[in-house]
Parts: sequence; C-alpha cells; structure tokens
Amino acid sequence: MSTTLAILWKDLVTEWRSRDRVIAMLLFSLLVVVIFHFALPVGTRSGIQENAAGLLWVAYVFAANIGLNRSFALELENDALSLLALAPGERGWIFLGKALANLILIGLVEAAAGFAFAVAFDIDLLKVALPLAGVVLLGTFGLCCAGTLFSAMSVRTRLREVLLPILLLPALFPVLAGAVAATRDLIVAGEASFEAIQLLLVIDGVYLVVSFLGFEYILDE
Amino acid sequence: MSETALRARGVEKRFGAMRALRGVDLTVERGTIHAVLGPNGAGKTTLLRILAGLSHATAGSVEIDIDGENHEPSKARGAIGYVGHATLIHPELTARENLLFAAKLYRVDDAEARAQQLLEDEALGEVADVRAGSFSRGMSQRLSIARARIHDPILVLLDEPFTGLDRAAASRLAEHLERLRDEGRALVLITHDVEIAARLATTVSLLDRGEISEVVSGSAITVDRLDAGMLGDRPQPGAVA
Amino acid sequence: MSSQASMSLSALELRAARMRSWLTLPLLVFLALYAWSVVNAPIDNVQGIIQKILYVHPPLAYGAYLGFVITAIAGGIYLWKSREDMDRLAIAGTEVGVIFCTLMLITGPIWARGTWGKWWSWDPRLTVTLLLWFIYLAYMLLRSFSGNSTRTARFAAVYGIVGIVLIPLNYYIIEIFDKRSMHPENLERGSLGDGMGMPFLLGNLALFFVFAYLVLLRWEVEGLRTVASEDEAERLAANREVA
Repeated sequence: MSTTLAILWKDLVTEWRSRDRVIAMLLFSLLVVVIFHFALPVGTRSGIQENAAGLLWVAYVFAANIGLNRSFALELENDALSLLALAPGERGWIFLGKALANLILIGLVEAAAGFAFAVAFDIDLLKVALPLAGVVLLGTFGLCCAGTLFSAMSVRTRLREVLLPILLLPALFPVLAGAVAATRDLIVAGEASFEAIQLLLVIDGVYLVVSFLGFEYILDE
Repeated sequence: MSETALRARGVEKRFGAMRALRGVDLTVERGTIHAVLGPNGAGKTTLLRILAGLSHATAGSVEIDIDGENHEPSKARGAIGYVGHATLIHPELTARENLLFAAKLYRVDDAEARAQQLLEDEALGEVADVRAGSFSRGMSQRLSIARARIHDPILVLLDEPFTGLDRAAASRLAEHLERLRDEGRALVLITHDVEIAARLATTVSLLDRGEISEVVSGSAITVDRLDAGMLGDRPQPGAVA
Repeated sequence: MSSQASMSLSALELRAARMRSWLTLPLLVFLALYAWSVVNAPIDNVQGIIQKILYVHPPLAYGAYLGFVITAIAGGIYLWKSREDMDRLAIAGTEVGVIFCTLMLITGPIWARGTWGKWWSWDPRLTVTLLLWFIYLAYMLLRSFSGNSTRTARFAAVYGIVGIVLIPLNYYIIEIFDKRSMHPENLERGSLGDGMGMPFLLGNLALFFVFAYLVLLRWEVEGLRTVASEDEAERLAANREVA
C-alpha cells in the first residue's frame, strides 16, 4: 500500500510540475466538443439530451486515451520503468498507484470537459452534478484499470500510442455500455437506476482484479 | 569473508532466434568486486538484467543468497541494488524526492534520514532540492548510485557506471565502489574497459558472444592479461573495420 | 562452442502432432458425410436455400469460442509454469479462433439478409462476437508489434485472459441494457424441420474435427518454426566461429 501511495504521489507531483498531460487531454476534449457541434445535424438539437451521454463518453474515452499513453511513456525516460520493476513486493500495488493517478488526472479533465459540454449544448448538468460525478467516477475507474494495464504493455511495443486504443476500446465495452446508460438516465430522467450503479460496481471490480493480478507479469522484459 | 552472494548456473537467454547468452556460470562472493568484461554486444547488459530480476533467463538458474537462504532474483528484489546504464531517475523530481520515492518503493524505515545521509555521502547535499533533470552526467550517476543504495542492498549490480565520467569523478566512483566492497557487499561490475576491470576487480569473467570465455582472479588480473583475453586468439568479426 | 543440444518440441507437442495425423481420416469421412447430407437436406419452405447456412454458422461459433478459451487457458498455464509450448498453443488457439470467428461474421449477415431482410443488426450475440473478434485481432497485433520475446508471450497471455473474462461481462451488460436478441434462445435444433437434424449434427461434428485439426496443425507449425529458427541461429553462430 505504501508503494501505491508513493507512486500516486510521484505521478501527481510530476504532473503538477509539467502539467503537460492534463493540458493536452483538456484541449483535446474541448476540441472534440467543438467537433460534435459541427458534426451534429442542426435540426436535432432538441434530441441532444438523448444522445448527450454517448457523446460525452466518446469525448472522455478519447481524451483518456491520450493521458493513459503518457502514463507509462513518462516512465521510459532514463528507464525509470526498471525502477518500478525492481521494487520488491507484489506489483499489483504499483499498478494501483498508476491507475489512481490516472483516475485523478482524467477525472479532473472530465469535470472540466463536462462543464464545457453542458454549456456548449445547453444541457443542465448542474442539477445532477453529484450523482453524475459518481457515475463518471465509476466508469472512469474501470477505464483506468484496463487502460493502465494496457498502457504498460503498449508503451513497450513498436507501435506504442497507436496500439493502446486498439487494445483498449474493444475491452471497454461493458464499462462504457454501463456508464453511458447510467449517464443517459441521469440526464433524461434525473436519476440513475440502482441496477446500473450495481452493474458498474461489479464490472469495475472485475477489471480491478484482473488488472491487479495481470500487472505482475507486465513489468519484466 | 567468502560468503557467496550470487550464484548463476547455465544462464541462457534467447531473443527469438538470437542467442544472447549461452550457458553463463557466475559466482560472486561477498566483499568482492566481480567484473564482467567484454566487447559491445557480448551480452553483458542482458546478463546483468537477468541477475537483477528485470529479465527472465530462458534456461538456467540464478540464486541470490540472503542469510543463508537461496532465492531467485524476482523474490530477492529487496537485496539487490541496480545501477543501470540509464539512471532510472525522474527528471521532474529533485534529487531528494527521487531518493524518497525509491525509499518508499523499498519500504525503507526513516526514509528522510536515509536520503539525507546518502545525499551527503554522494556529495549531492548542495543540490538536494534541485530538479534531477538539470544534473550533469556525473551528478546523475552519483544520484543513481545513491538511489541503488537506498535499501542497503547486499548485492550491487552496476552497468558501465564509468561511462561519461571525467577523471576526477571516475576516480571518486572507483574509491566508492571499493568502500562498498569493504563493507562486505558483493558487487558485479559490467564494463568494456580493461583498465577499470584491472584496477577494481577481485575476479574478472570475460564474456564473449554470450559465453564466459575465461575467468581470471587475484594477482593474475593485469591489463595485458585481460587485453589478451578480450582479443583472444580468435578474430573478432564485429571489429573488422 | 556451446554444447547444448538444439531445442526440440515438448513431449506434449509431439503427442499432439501424432494425434493430428490420426485425425486426418475421421476428418475426411465426416467432411464427406457432412457435404452429402447438406446437399440432400430438404430446402426450407420459408427461408429457401439460404437456410442451409445454419448447418455452418453455429458450429463456426463454437469453434471460435473454443479457440479463444484455449488461448486463455494456455496463456494462463504459460504465466504459471513458463512453458513455451503453451505459448505456442495460445497462438494456435487465437489464429484458428479468429478464422472461425471471421467466417461466422461473414455467414451470419448473409443469412440475416435473406431472412431478416438486413445485413447487420446489433443483436447481442452478434455484438459480443464482433467485440471478441476485435479483441483477438488486437491480440495478434500485440504479438506482432512487441517483437519475439518472452515479454510478448506474457503480454499476450494477459490480454488473452482479459478477452475471455470480457465474454460473460459483455453478455451480462448487453442483456440488461439492450434486449433486442434475434437469435433463438433455445438450442437451434429444436426449431429444425424434418431431415434437418442430421446435417446439423454432422456439421457440428465435422467442423469440430476441422477445428481440432487446424489447432493441432498450427501448434505443430509454430513449434517447428521455433526449432528451425533455433537451428538456424546455431548454424550462423557456428559459421561465424569458423570464419
């Protein structure tokens, strides 16, 4: 557990000093929002409420992809990844530190992008802000678990940032389907069913366990 | 003191069809410096990374002795200090922060005091709170060594630590390694430099194309002897200009 | 010079290779019977000739899933025991599984066009299968882009296991949020007309034999390829020594 906290601290301090990851993700997600504006047919603005959840998550996933790629790319400088591989003890804790750091950074970007989205498409997200934050957090946690595991793999392949979305997107279906459904319920009906939340919790749990255990085999050469 | 700290038997490493190591044997006693000497591409770094547990041998075994019990490297990470060819340092963190981070990874008690002690020991006290990204090669190397020592390892593995150091820094590093040796640690020093091996090593294993071609110890270690061993009787196809 | 004997297939791989050669005869017999029975099966009076795709489509699905399960199990054993023959079996499972999956994704829409009137529907099983197809294509990309090393094998093993874990999760989520299944819930055999049961049964058997044969063959090829590249490396090293 102290390993987890050490890595979380290290990643956050590093990001605080450079801020490059958060800024890149943020800019990217805002650009996606602008592109949605042009991509959507003019007549369907009223129908945007129905589709907002899906669009929002598309923006989140693509922005997260950028951040996740950097997560391990920054360990490549000076071969710092070897330092993690050398550390004694179970490697799952290293995974958890990286995943939590990603969760925090991506979560910050999601909050800002969500706000921009709400303003741009005139959707009142503020009245469901708290439950929405909860749903986004649950969805992003699953996303970060799988994303952190695959990022540690893809960063050491020849294609690097190209490979991550190819590995990640098909694996995200359960968590995205759940998160989009729950988000849609919140936007349209003002509340998410208990069933949806339960489902997200179960899926997050499975992702967490698999990634935690799988990470043991990822760090070595 | 002749306790064995590390014993490698028949270590093989394949990368696809390429055989980087072919049946390497290595025994390293505590209180000695064991140099692995060889030309570029001989498999030195591959061997060191296997000894460190960073890489898995395709065949053969590596055992690290901790208090009389043998462990494979991946189960003995807490006893190994590794100074890689790269520094393993985070440039955004200060020297002190790098050490504190490593201390937490290795669960060192009283990390602050240990970091401070090592910073002074490696003459980094004045730049302790400067970002490591701005360090010279010599300073980075000292920080890298401090980082590798943070958990007081029995076995210290060094990959070409003298590369890029000026004469003063190199001679300070050499004294430093001798001190670590005299403290009863076992050191494995990877180098292609015959003079460094001749000056520091208790035992030298000559590694050539993935095989140990010769082991030289004690007073037999001279620059001429090692030079002859490095070149061997066989022509070096890689060295043809 | 190094004195190690050149590397050879594991005992299990040798046994698998023998088994494959035994499989040849039943494979040919069942394929012939299968082809004969499909040709002679009655033509469905509602769906027409296109209904005959059902003699191919479901067994392809079993093969695809079976291939991916083999990949996950072999990958798990590889991580646990570091047995390289298991890594090679995982490759065989994926590649044959992807072939079956691809054929399933091709035959399905052809039948759907003839029966439901459209090529594609986001039917739960179809969606899950499509995702699975993407996962195992990504698996193959991962292998080919991370070089040939034990690291590749470990990455692939972990990813293959994730892929299998996703199957129940995908079904679970799709059942709850997306109830639009067009596949018959009970076994297809229940809805088959007179004279259709036998070709269907033979189809399952024959394609199972095809599947097993291909997996064993691919496994054997991968093993031989490894041995050959080892020998080649030895020979090159020896030549260099002489030169």
